[in-house]
Amino acid sequence: MFWRLLWKLLRGSSGRLVVAILALVSGGLVVSALLNLEFDIERKLTQEFRMLGANLVISPGRDAQMPGVAPPALMNERDAFAAIQNMKDPAVVAAVPFLYIVERGGGTPVVVVGTKMEDLPKLEPSWRIEGQWSSSRDNQIPCVVGRNVAQQLRLAVNNPLDLTYLGKSARVTVTGILDTGGAEDNQIFMQLPEVQSLAGFPGEIGLVQLSVRGATKAISDYAARLGTALPAYEVRPIRQVTEAEGDLLNRIRLLIVSMVLLILALTALCVLATMAALAMERRHDVGLMKALGGSIARIVALFMAEVGVLGAAGGFVGSILGIELSRWMGQRVFGTAISARWEIFPLTVALMVAVALAGALPLRLLGKVKPAVIFRGE
Amino acid sequence: MATLVQVEDLSKEFGNVRALAGVSFRVEAGEWIAIMGPSGSGKTTLINILGGLDTPTSGQAIVDAVDVGRLDESGLTRFRAQKIGFIFQQFHLVPYLTALENVMLAQYFHSTTDEKEAREALERVGLGDRIEHLPGKLSGGEQQRVAVARALINHPKLILADEPTGNLDEANEETVIQLFHDLHCEGHTILMVTHAASIGRLADRRIEFAHGRLVQVPESLKFST
Repeated sequence: MFWRLLWKLLRGSSGRLVVAILALVSGGLVVSALLNLEFDIERKLTQEFRMLGANLVISPGRDAQMPGVAPPALMNERDAFAAIQNMKDPAVVAAVPFLYIVERGGGTPVVVVGTKMEDLPKLEPSWRIEGQWSSSRDNQIPCVVGRNVAQQLRLAVNNPLDLTYLGKSARVTVTGILDTGGAEDNQIFMQLPEVQSLAGFPGEIGLVQLSVRGATKAISDYAARLGTALPAYEVRPIRQVTEAEGDLLNRIRLLIVSMVLLILALTALCVLATMAALAMERRHDVGLMKALGGSIARIVALFMAEVGVLGAAGGFVGSILGIELSRWMGQRVFGTAISARWEIFPLTVALMVAVALAGALPLRLLGKVKPAVIFRGE
Repeated sequence: MATLVQVEDLSKEFGNVRALAGVSFRVEAGEWIAIMGPSGSGKTTLINILGGLDTPTSGQAIVDAVDVGRLDESGLTRFRAQKIGFIFQQFHLVPYLTALENVMLAQYFHSTTDEKEAREALERVGLGDRIEHLPGKLSGGEQQRVAVARALINHPKLILADEPTGNLDEANEETVIQLFHDLHCEGHTILMVTHAASIGRLADRRIEFAHGRLVQVPESLKFST
C-alpha cells in the first residue's frame, strides 16, 4: 500500500511536482556536468600543460657545474636512462637527451643540439616543423634547422649543410625547418650519436628533459625518487610549469566546487518553494490521514519518500544529460571529449535526493496539522 | 449492556468561547444515539473529543475504558485507528485515491491492508461496481457510502457520524440511513450528529444540545427501534 500511495501521490500532484522535478533535473544536469569535469580536469589540464613541453630536467650535479671544474659538465647517457627505465612510471610521456655544442665552422657560431629527434614531438607537441625530423634515405645524416638559422644560411629542406667542430666535419642534409618562436629557432638539431661523435663525447649528454603527467605533488615525488636513483645528478621540476599547473588546477577546482554548492542551494530553494505550496494543498489530506489513525512518522515518511523519488529521478535524468553536457564542454574547452565517469551517477543521484529532502522541510510541518482544525475549515 | 461511552462534566473552551459546558451522559454498547441541536451548540466538538481529534479543557470522556483526555499525540493516533470509525458530512475522501484505495488507506493506518476485505466492504455498501472509481466520479451518496465502508473496515468500537446525510439528496439520504440502520441491527454503537428529526427518530435515544449544554430530553420523547 505504501508504494501504491506513493504512486498516487506523485500522480495526484504531478502538475505541482513538475516544477520541482524540472529544478532537480536542471540541478542534477549542471552538478553532474561540473563533477564530471572536475573528476577529469586534472587529466585534461595535464594534457594541455604537456603541450608546453618538459616539466622535469636531469642535469649534471651542482658540483660538476662549479667554476673551474673540468669542461664541459656532462652526464652518462646510459646511467641516466637506466634509472628512468627502472622507475617504470607510466606518467612519463617523454624523456629526451640533449647534448649542446657550438659549431663555428661556417663563420657564424650556431648551437648544434644532439638529441633523439624522433622523440621530440612527444616532448614538445607545440613545435611546428616544415619537412620532417628524419630522412628517408639511409646514406643521409638528417638535421633540422631553426627558422632563423635557415634564413641566415639560406637553407631549405633537402639542402646539404657542412658542419665543423674542433677539426671534425660532417655533411648533413636539412630534412626540416623548425619554428618554435623560441631559442630553438637559432639552433640545429641532429641525432645524438652524430653530435656525440662530432664533439668527441661518445655516450655522454648534457641534460635530459622529461615530460611527466600529474599534479605538482606527483611530479615532485617522481623527481625526488629519480633524484635518489641518480645521486650524482640533479633532478628538478621546472617550477614555473608545474606550479602554474597546480595553481590553475586548484583555482578551477575551487570554481567548480563553488558552482556545485551554489547550484545545490538554488535547487533546494526551488524545491522548498514548490513544497511549501504543496504542503498547503495537502493539509486537508494530512488531517484526514491523521483522523484515520495515521501516525505522524508514517505520514511524513510517505511524503518524504515522494520527495526522495523525485530527487532520485531528477538526479538520474540530470546526470545522464549532465555527462553529455560535460562531453560537449570538454570538446569546446579542451578540444577533446571529457570521459564519462560512471561514479558520477550515484553521486549526483545522492546529492539530488539530499537536496530534495532538504527542500522538503515544509512537508515536515504537516506533522503539526490538527485534524479538528482542518475539518473546521480554519 | 456495558457502558461504552462515559462523559463526565466535559467542557471545551476555544479562547473565550465555551463550546461545551459540563456535559455528562453515558452510551451503552450497541446503542444508536442521535445528537441534535442548533448550529454552534457543541455537537461537532463533542464528536471530535470522543473521536480523539480534539482534547477537552476539563472533565472526562471515556471510550471503551480509555480516558481520551489523558492520551498523548501517539496515544490519540492509536486510539483513532483502533477504536473509532469516522463518517463526515463532507465525506473527506482522498481525491486521487480510488474508492477501494480510500478504504484500504484506513486499513493501512490501522495495521495491514487486505484488498479482498476492502472490496467486500464496498460491495456491502452497494458499490461493487464502483470500486476503481475516483471520488470525483462518484455521486454524493456513493462517496458517503465509501466513507461508511472506510469507517467500518477496521471493526471500530464506536462509529462517529457528523451529519452524514447533510450533503445528500433525499434518495441518497435514504440509502445511507438504511446502512446505519443495518449497522445498528448488527450491534454497532453509533453516535450521529444530525439536524433531521426524521433521522433522529430512528435512533435509540436522542441527546440535544443548546449553547454547549445538554438539554434534558423527556423520557416520552425517546425513540426506540
